[in-house]
Amino acid sequence: MTKPNGKNDFTEATVEVDGFSIRYLEAGTGQPLIWFHGGGGIRLSPVYDNLAKQHRVIAFEIPGFGNSATNDRSENMLALARTMLSAITALGIDSFDLAGTSFGGSLACWIATEAPERVTTLVLCSPAAIRQKPSPGETPKPVTPDMLYHHPERQPPAAPRPAEIAEKELVLMKRLRGPARDAELESRLAELETQTLVLFGTEDQVTPCELGEIYRAIMPACQQVLIYDAAHAIDAERPEAVTAVMQDFLSRHESFLVKDQSGLLYP
Amino acid sequence: MKAALFCTTRYEGPASHTTWPAAGDTYTAEWAEKSMAQTLDQFRLGDEVGFDWLTVAEHHFAPFSMTPNPMVMAAAVINVANRAKIALLGPDIPILDPVRVAEELSMIDTLSGGRIVAGFMRGSPNEYVTYNINPAESRERFQEAYQIIKAAWTRKQPFGWQGRYYEYRTISIWPRPAQDPHPPIYMSVSSPEAGEFAAKNRINAGFAFTTLQIASKAADFYRAKCREYGWEPEPEQIVYRIGMHCADSDDEAIDDLTQTGGGQPAVGLAFRNRAVEGAVSDSGFYGRDQEEQRGRLQTRGEIASRIEKGQVLVGTPETILKQIKRLRDELGVGVLDLALGAQLGDKTMKSIELFGEKVIPRMHEL
Repeated sequence: MTKPNGKNDFTEATVEVDGFSIRYLEAGTGQPLIWFHGGGGIRLSPVYDNLAKQHRVIAFEIPGFGNSATNDRSENMLALARTMLSAITALGIDSFDLAGTSFGGSLACWIATEAPERVTTLVLCSPAAIRQKPSPGETPKPVTPDMLYHHPERQPPAAPRPAEIAEKELVLMKRLRGPARDAELESRLAELETQTLVLFGTEDQVTPCELGEIYRAIMPACQQVLIYDAAHAIDAERPEAVTAVMQDFLSRHESFLVKDQSGLLYP
Repeated sequence: MKAALFCTTRYEGPASHTTWPAAGDTYTAEWAEKSMAQTLDQFRLGDEVGFDWLTVAEHHFAPFSMTPNPMVMAAAVINVANRAKIALLGPDIPILDPVRVAEELSMIDTLSGGRIVAGFMRGSPNEYVTYNINPAESRERFQEAYQIIKAAWTRKQPFGWQGRYYEYRTISIWPRPAQDPHPPIYMSVSSPEAGEFAAKNRINAGFAFTTLQIASKAADFYRAKCREYGWEPEPEQIVYRIGMHCADSDDEAIDDLTQTGGGQPAVGLAFRNRAVEGAVSDSGFYGRDQEEQRGRLQTRGEIASRIEKGQVLVGTPETILKQIKRLRDELGVGVLDLALGAQLGDKTMKSIELFGEKVIPRMHEL
C-alpha cells in the first residue's frame, strides 16, 4: 500500500523458525528483496520505501536484535544464515534478491554462499564481512553514532535506544562475526557466481571504502560503486544515489554498466 | 627556491584582446602556427637554461591563450624538453570529465617518465560558459571531481561512482600515473573556501592573478588550516605566479615592458564580458569574500606599482633577485611560476636565458 506522500506502509509480522520468533517488516509487491540490517537493528531508510515501489521488500530483524530474546543459540554465522533461509522459506519465498548492511552484509554473504541457487542478486551496503585487521597494539575504536554519518546535521533526530539492547546486540555480533579476514567465508565468496553489487561510502570510518577493492578482487561477478560524501550509513546519507544504483542493478544486473537513459536534450 | 616558466601561447597575430569570446574573423592558421612554434622554442630554451618546471594552463575562446586543452600542449612540450617537470596549472576540472582528466594526466606522466605536476583549477568565471556548466556549482563539482581523479589514480580494482554531479558505472584507467602514488597536486587557494579544502586534503597551494598582500593573507590562512589538520606545507608546496622580464639593464627591462602594455598577460578574461562576469558573480562563484576576489582580478597599474604589489619581476638579474627575496620572506613561497612579461621575440629569448643562467642558480640556494 502506498500512502499519498509516496511512503509505503511497512506492515509488521513474525515468523516462527528454529525456536526463534522472528519479527519482520514488509511492503510492496513483486520480486522479493530480503534486506538484513546492521548493528543498531532495523532502520528503514528512504531507500527501503523507494525500492518497495517495485519489489516486495522484507526487512527481517536478526534474532537477538531489538526487543527479541537474547540469542545465545546461533552457533556461528553459518547457523544463523540457515535459520534465516528457513524463515524466508516459511514466508513461501523460493528465489529472491538479497541485500545486507554492515553486519547484515556479512550475514547476506553467508546466506548467498549457502544457497546460491535461490539468490538472484546480492547487494552489500557497507558490508562488514571483510574488515581491517587492527594494527598490533591498536584497540579497535567502538562504533559511535557520529561515525555513521558524514553529515549528521542532515539526519532527523534518532529515537534513543535502551542501552541494554545495544549491549545485547554488541555481544551477539562480537560472538558471531568471526575474524577480520575470514578465510572460510572468503573462499566461499571466491566461488560465488551470483551477480553482486558492493557499495561503500567514500567517508566511511567503520568499514573504509578501500575494503571494496578486496570484494571486487576475490568475487567472480562483483561490481563496486562508491557513494560519494557518505559515511557508513550510506542509505540514510545519500538515499537518492543509493536508490538509483540499487534499482538499476536489481532490474538490469550486470547490464547496469551500460547507460539506458536518453541523453537527448530536445527532440 | 624553484623557477617555473609559464607561456600562455598567446596568438601573436591581429586579434581582439578586449572581448570575450573573441571572434575568429582575424584568425589565420599561419599566425597560430607561428605562435605555437614560438611557445615551444621558449620552452625548449627554458629547459636548456635550467627552469625547474615548464607551465601550461587552460583558457578558452580567446587569443590570450591557445591551449584550451593543456594536456595536448604538455604532450608537445615533452618533445622539446627532456629535463624539466611539466606543470599543468589548469586543467579546470569542474568543467571537464574528471575521468578523462585522470586518463590524460596519466598518459603525459607516463610519456614524460613521471615529470608532471598536476594543478587542479576552478578556472576563471568565463570558463563556465565554455561547456555550459552552472558556475554556482563550481566549488562542489571541483571537490567531487578531485576525489574522482584521485580514486581513479590510486584504486587498483574497477569501481563505480555515485556522486552528486558525476555518475560512472565503472572506472579503471590505463595508463596509470608513473609517479607513485600520483603526481604532486596543487590548487589555487586564493579564497578561504579553497584554502580550507586544500588544507583538509593535503593539497599543495598556488596563487595567481593576485597581489603579494592578498596572497600573504590567503597563505597565512592556508598554513593555519594545515596546522589544524596536522601538517605543515614545505615552501615548495606553495607556488606563486608572477610576470617576469629580465634584461641587461633595469631601464631596458622597464622600457620593454612598457612597450608591450605593462607586463603580465592581461588579467581577468571574464572582465572582457561584463554580462558574463556579472552573471557569474551573481551565482555566488566568488564565495564569501567576493569583493576581494573580484578586486584582485582587476588590479592594473603602472609598472612601479605592479612591482611593489608583487605582480611582476622586472630588471637585471640582480634587481630581480632582490624582488624574489622579498617574495620569499613575505610569502614563504618555494616555487615562482614566471609568466613571460613581454613577447618581444629575441628580447624575450634573452630574458629567459638571463634568468636561467644568472637567477635560477641563486634561487636554488635560497
